[in-house]
Amino acid sequence: MKTTSDDSVIRATDLTKRFGEIVAVDGVSFQVKKGETYGLLGPNGAGKTTTMRMISGLSPLTAGKLTVADIDVTSQAREVRNVLGVVTQEDGLDTDLDAKSNLIVYGYTAGLSHAEAEKRADAVLMFFDLTDKAHEEIDYLSGGMKRRLAIARAFMTSPRVIVLDEPTTGLDPQGRNRVWQELETMKQGGVTILMSTHYMDEAAALCDRLAIMHHGRILAEGTPDELVTRHAGSEVAQVRVSNGARRDVVDWIGNAGFDFRDAGAVITVTSRNGARPDLTGLAGVRVSYRPSNLEDVFLTMAGRGLTDDE
Amino acid sequence: MMAAATSTYIAGVRLRSIAGIWYRHALVLRRNLLTSISWYFVEPFVILVAIGIGVGTLVDDVQGVPYARFITPGVIVGSAMFHAVFECAWGGFMRIQKGVYETTLTAPVSTREVAMGDICWTMTRTVVTAVCIGTVAAAFGWIDNVSGVGVLLPAALVGMQFGALGLIFAALSPNVHILSLTFTVVASPLYFLSGAFFPISSMPDWVEPLAWAAPLTPSVHLARGFVTGDLAMSHLFAGLYVVAWIIVLFPIAATLMHRRLVK
Repeated sequence: MKTTSDDSVIRATDLTKRFGEIVAVDGVSFQVKKGETYGLLGPNGAGKTTTMRMISGLSPLTAGKLTVADIDVTSQAREVRNVLGVVTQEDGLDTDLDAKSNLIVYGYTAGLSHAEAEKRADAVLMFFDLTDKAHEEIDYLSGGMKRRLAIARAFMTSPRVIVLDEPTTGLDPQGRNRVWQELETMKQGGVTILMSTHYMDEAAALCDRLAIMHHGRILAEGTPDELVTRHAGSEVAQVRVSNGARRDVVDWIGNAGFDFRDAGAVITVTSRNGARPDLTGLAGVRVSYRPSNLEDVFLTMAGRGLTDDE
Repeated sequence: MMAAATSTYIAGVRLRSIAGIWYRHALVLRRNLLTSISWYFVEPFVILVAIGIGVGTLVDDVQGVPYARFITPGVIVGSAMFHAVFECAWGGFMRIQKGVYETTLTAPVSTREVAMGDICWTMTRTVVTAVCIGTVAAAFGWIDNVSGVGVLLPAALVGMQFGALGLIFAALSPNVHILSLTFTVVASPLYFLSGAFFPISSMPDWVEPLAWAAPLTPSVHLARGFVTGDLAMSHLFAGLYVVAWIIVLFPIAATLMHRRLVK
């Protein structure tokens, strides 16, 4: 591998992907530095998965420039997969094989010798605390275990960069915590991680930096704290309102120039200037304040919540 | 990187990709050895014995040989076809649906190598089934000359030919219902059209040319040549005809798999 002039492992410039008329990724640029955990945060359909598939060499670029570890993805899609560990959104586990064989087959296909693959599978199973599930049928594993096995598989070749598409979607809280814990351990081991998520708490907990994506574009980029301070201020207001008064309250908030999200019982209000939204003129409602988070950033920038239906 | 160092390429094809896919299939077979025996042994054995001996008592010798002996080459080649279609159409479709191919592609593997790996394995599988049935037939005395070993050649060719065809169906089918047509509309009619169970000359005149052109027929003809030891130029042409099918079908299979898997 060539030495890099800076320490960026992934460099995406004007990355674009079109499917017919639909623009899935619309000129996205970002860089992921060596050893950092970089997140793509956005709702379903934001273009996260397509971006990650392009980076993994699994989806050809419509336009733009993309290098991973100085390898040009457009001309050397296969070579990119020599340096990357890729965890796709679906676990992609082979239910015709047991857990350990899934790892060995992947390792061997990726280029390890039989002996290396066998040895590495044992090590990886131990790291992910799946040793006692080595010979289990895939269908008998819990969702969290399947996910960890899929991540373990990407680690068979000891990649220095791992691409993780929605590491915890569909997992119960317990399974989720385990995955977080293991990602944290990997990160401390110096692995560069690019991950996508639509959970703001996941992005805040794991990512050193992140890009907020919406409709195929990056709306904002920075550390989680920076993004919150810059775009959602320190605090947001939560307004509890009865159904009868909702309409008037929503009109009032809109006319006052605040961004808000109406989630049924609670209306979340953010101000654009970073200050705590002043709702003193609003009568007949209960208002409480809480610290802002990434969800509020997304709300401010996209005018909708991360998990709202479009 | 460790992974890159061990890769050998021939004409742009990474050999380890094919070996890895082959190895995967071999592990699956080893894991399901007992149930696989029914596929490799019991089912063709039942067909051979039930039809060969059962129906054989009702019919005279066909083309100068007892009926069981007449159908042996066709049953070997027909079983090879069903194995190939099952592995590549049904199995391939499942591997698309379950993301198994997608996982394979996260390793430095191309879609063309995925198709090649599956087809190489399918060829192995059809040869194994030919060995199994051939052994049973030989024990009954229905194959009794050394040239009978040659049936492994049409079995291997059918493995590649119907393996490629199976992948085409897997790549094109939106759901299992359409996929099932591979068995009902393609494989089964071809089996009966192939001359496995009755001579093509006994078919209606207008069916005969169709039967000869059908993709399985030449392999049955070739297998029969090896079993009887009576080989002529027509057997060479039959073999070349199947090779032509493979040359045409493989790139189509690889292209359609690419379209289905890489978007």
